[in-house]
Parts: sequence; C-alpha cells; structure tokens
Amino acid sequence: MNEAAQNRVHDQMNSRVAAAPASFVNGVWRVFDLSLGEMLWSRRTIFMALVVGAPVIIALVMRIVQAFGIPALRVNGVAVDPVGMFGVLIWVPFLRFIVPVLGVFYGTSLIADEVEDKTITYLFTRPLRRSAILVGKYVAYLACTTLVVLPSIMLVYFLIVPLTQVASSFRSLLIDLGLLAIGLAAYGALFAFVGVFVKRPLVASLVFAFGWEQAALLIPGYLRRFTIMYYLQGLVPHTRFSGGVVSLLEAMIPDPPSVMLSIAALTFAVVLFLALAGRIIETREYVLDQ
Amino acid sequence: MNRRTRIFLFVAAGILVAGLGTGLVASYVGLQNLPVIGGNGLAEFAYVPEDAGLVAYANVHDVMASELRRRLEAIHPQGGDGARSFQEHTGIDVEKDIDYVVAAVVKAPETEGPPLVLARGRFDQARLEELAKQESATSEDYQGARVVTRGDFALAFVEPGLVAVGAPAVVRKAIETKSAGGRNVGDNTELMRLVRNVDDGTVWAVARFDALTSDRLPQDVRSKLPKISWFSAKGVIGAGVDGQLQVEAVDDTSAQDLRQVIQGFLALARLQVGNQAGLTELINSLQLGGEGKTVSLSFSLPPEILDALGAIRAQRPRLPQLPPETPLPQVAPDAPRAPAPPAL
Repeated sequence: MNEAAQNRVHDQMNSRVAAAPASFVNGVWRVFDLSLGEMLWSRRTIFMALVVGAPVIIALVMRIVQAFGIPALRVNGVAVDPVGMFGVLIWVPFLRFIVPVLGVFYGTSLIADEVEDKTITYLFTRPLRRSAILVGKYVAYLACTTLVVLPSIMLVYFLIVPLTQVASSFRSLLIDLGLLAIGLAAYGALFAFVGVFVKRPLVASLVFAFGWEQAALLIPGYLRRFTIMYYLQGLVPHTRFSGGVVSLLEAMIPDPPSVMLSIAALTFAVVLFLALAGRIIETREYVLDQ
Repeated sequence: MNRRTRIFLFVAAGILVAGLGTGLVASYVGLQNLPVIGGNGLAEFAYVPEDAGLVAYANVHDVMASELRRRLEAIHPQGGDGARSFQEHTGIDVEKDIDYVVAAVVKAPETEGPPLVLARGRFDQARLEELAKQESATSEDYQGARVVTRGDFALAFVEPGLVAVGAPAVVRKAIETKSAGGRNVGDNTELMRLVRNVDDGTVWAVARFDALTSDRLPQDVRSKLPKISWFSAKGVIGAGVDGQLQVEAVDDTSAQDLRQVIQGFLALARLQVGNQAGLTELINSLQLGGEGKTVSLSFSLPPEILDALGAIRAQRPRLPQLPPETPLPQVAPDAPRAPAPPAL
C-alpha cells in the first residue's frame, strides 16, 4: 500500500476511533464500520461478483431452456425437477466451491492484508483491543459475503423454481440460506486463523480447502471428520434429491453426521478458530519490513 | 459507512426481504390467493362444488397431437376403432373436437353413477339431442341448461362449447353451483394449493386420499393404509412422458415410513427386472423424493425407453389363434321329440 493509502487508513481511524479506550463491542463495531466499505469496494469484490454471478447466469439459461419445454438438467437420462435443480446448484457450485473460495480469499486477508500493506501498526496504535480488530473485520467479512451470496441464491431460486412450487420448497430455501451462512462463518473463522498464524496464508488455505478437504472426504475412515465440508454436507436436506442425484450425494458423503452434530461442530469451529486467532494477534509482535 | 455502501446494503437486504416475504406469503397464505399471480384456476371450476374430493384435468388436444400417441399407435395400430365408432354415433371427433376435460368426484344425493366430467370443445348439440331421443332419453331445461337424462347418466349443455356429463344428481349439482355464483372448488385453499403444483402438466389429478378410498375399501384394509391426507399426480406428455406422483402424509413420521416402503419396492423391482433393456431404464427413471410430510415419486419415459418397451412387447410369443368354435346344434327345449322306433 502506498503512503496515500496509509494516510487514508490513519485518517479514517482518527475520525472514527475516539481517544478514550473503547469497550470490546464498541471496538468491534468501529472496525466493522471501517472495514465493510473497504471490503465491498475492493478488487476482491469483482472476483466475488463474478463467482457468485455465474450460478445466476446458469439459472437464467436453465429458465430460458425450460421455457421452451426442454428439461434443463437430466441425471441418468431422467429430467430433474426444478427444486432438485436448485438443490444441485446449491450443493455443487455454492457449497463445494463458492463458500470455501470466499472464505479463503477474504478470511486470510483480514489481518494479512494489513500486515502486507504495513497498516497494521496504525490499527494497533488505536485504543482498541487487538482481538476486537480481528472480530470487527471478521464480522465485516460475514456481512460482505452473506449480503452478496444470499441475494444471489434468492435470485437463482426464483429463476429456477416456478412460483407454484415456492410453497412446497420454501423450507429448503431457508435451510440452504442458513447452511451457506454457517459455511461462510466457519470457513471465514478457519482462514482468519490461518491468516494470522501462517506467513503465506493464501497458499496454505487453498491447499487446505481444495486439497485436504476434498481428499479427506474421499478417504474411508474418520479423517473426513476433520473437515468443515463434512459437517456442512450433513446439513444438506437429502430428501430433496432423488434418483441419480441421491446416489451421487451418497457416494460423496457415505455416513453424513446428524444435523445437531453438524451445527455443534461448526459453531465450535467458529468459536475455536476465532479464539485462537484472537489469542495469537493479542500476543504476537508484528515487525514490519521497511 | 459511505453512501455507496449503504445503497448496496439496502439493495442486497431488499432482495433478501422480498424473496423471503414472497416465500412466506406462498407458504402461509398461498400465492393462488393473490389475484395478480393467478385466479382460481380453470373457468370450469365454477361448476365444481367446493367439497369435491377429486379434481382431474386432461388436455385432450395436446395428448392427441403428441408424438407419444403417434408412437403408441404405431405399436398398437388397431386402437382407433372405438374413437371412429364414437364419431359415427355422436359426430364428435375426439382428436379435433375436444380441447380438454375436467373431471371431479362430487358429493351429491344419489351419487351412484359416473363422476362429473366437463368437456370443453365443439359439439353438435342438435345431433346429440337427436341421438339421445333415439336412445329413449328424456330432455329438460334445468336452471337455463339443457339436460338430457337416460338412466343413471346425464348430459347437460351448460355453455356454448362446454358439456357436463355424469350422474344426473351430480350434473344438476354442478349447474346449481354455477348458477348460485358462490363458492366453488377454486375457493378450496388446500386443494388449490396442490392444483397449483401440478397444473402445468398435460394431465393431472388432485384428490383427498379419503375420497379415493373411503367408499371403495373395507374398513380393515383402510386401517392398514399409510396415513395420507392428499394425493396428486401429474403427467407431461410429449415425445415421452414425464410424470410425478405425490402424496402428503398426515405427519413427518408417516411420510418417512412411506418413503422407506417405496424404496423397498424400488429395490425389489430392480432385482426383478435384472438387465432387461427398457425395463431397467424405466425402473432407474423412478425417483423418490419429497421432504417433511411430502413423498413424491417421479418418472421419465423418454422415447427411447418407449421404443425399447415396444420391442419387448413385439418379441413376446403370441398365443396361437384358436379357430372359432363351431356352435353345437341347439335343440329347442320344447321341440316335439321324434317318435321312438317301434319296439321289436
């Protein structure tokens, strides 16, 4: 980051942070207020818009194809109904790709960007607890990603599912919105921790998200229990799928965990990784290269 | 937070709230109750009483014009004799003169007899009345509609291009429902909710499960049936058939039990058909789905599967045609017997 950018951050913090020490919650709010705009209008958001916009375009194409009476998706030669198609779109692009990739790119950059841009010093000189800075940025990440991902899911849903089937599938939509929000929270916390703990967090996180997580799910045994995806897929409503899609799902998750266990594990992961990241950031001395 | 960020948050939250609001309205009020989205279904529903236990629809024109029908005719070419005979008698060409039919099971006094069927199309009223007279039927005007009755069957010309047929009491009740201008099946929220789910099909039916079973099955059989409240079916007919059967159980547990039963039957069917082409694809096309209280079974019969099934049918050895039996000479019971030969 150049000098002008450093001055901008400094000025913004000056204007927002009072000289008096702020409470933890107050500090979180101030950092959130500062970070949300920065995250939304960064270059990463262009990437996020492209990634999240692709399923919307796919849904639009499916809608047009369906309007001509042609089944938009067939599994084993069988036409998949609109609710099933929506489920596939949630499961494959959103859950398996978009949520982890957003977690990686945003989560690792929460603190790592400040270190790289050498603006971490300005944040740490404010009368705020260091962990409040991390949590404030994490909440800003959650707001930024959920407010982009969830509306796009809503668009995909209303593009694919006919209005006449909304009543019968609305519960599934709510579950999908919930599980994607939990997924963003879990991956964000994990990669925020990686961003604080590891020197080159992006590479390590990509290896974890698209190497370890994918491989561990395929290996028989208990290793899959050490992945976020295992618990997220436990929340996917399986009864929505049918025929070939079910067999595909069962092949991917042979013994899905219960919903309660999944929620408990994901909540525990969020708290654990945020606490670990907070502890590291509170105690670590950041020496910036000149 | 600058103005640009606030606008973004407002738009994103707006999309979410609008979507969730629509879903909530659809779930708890029903989109069919919003006039801007859809009225109360077909115009013929004005003749169907609100307490109808079953409503069914068939787009006869689309079925007749479908590629599927052409394929079936090729497999079974003698199928059109009945239609030709019907046309000769009534002047109605089923292929061209009937657009669609709506059928309903209606509660009415003395409901023994056929259900209510409303057919929309082009009918020669004079010819049909003449035919009825030849069959010694009686004609009368009932609340502005011409009703022709013969035994437990009635036909009413209720509107230009719309006839109602069925048991006399049922047809009269249909005419009364329309004349009263009050509530009809379109006001039955539960039934219409299911109709909206299936009314994009070429053929569809929605029924209260007890209306299907109550009078037809013994009590001990009924008590062993799964606890189902609603049944619906839909078929989209084109070059092949895409269909869906759906039931709503009374609770989640009953639905789960039913899913397991169907799953078992599907597994058994897979074992039975082995690797027989056509049948294997047919079984594989069956998809069990649904969530909560809903259980659905959908299937897809693309033209290739139909061709394979036709080939299986063609390969079956046909039973040899027996020559018609020569009738034995009948002996009239009271015919005078030939005189016995004289005793020696």
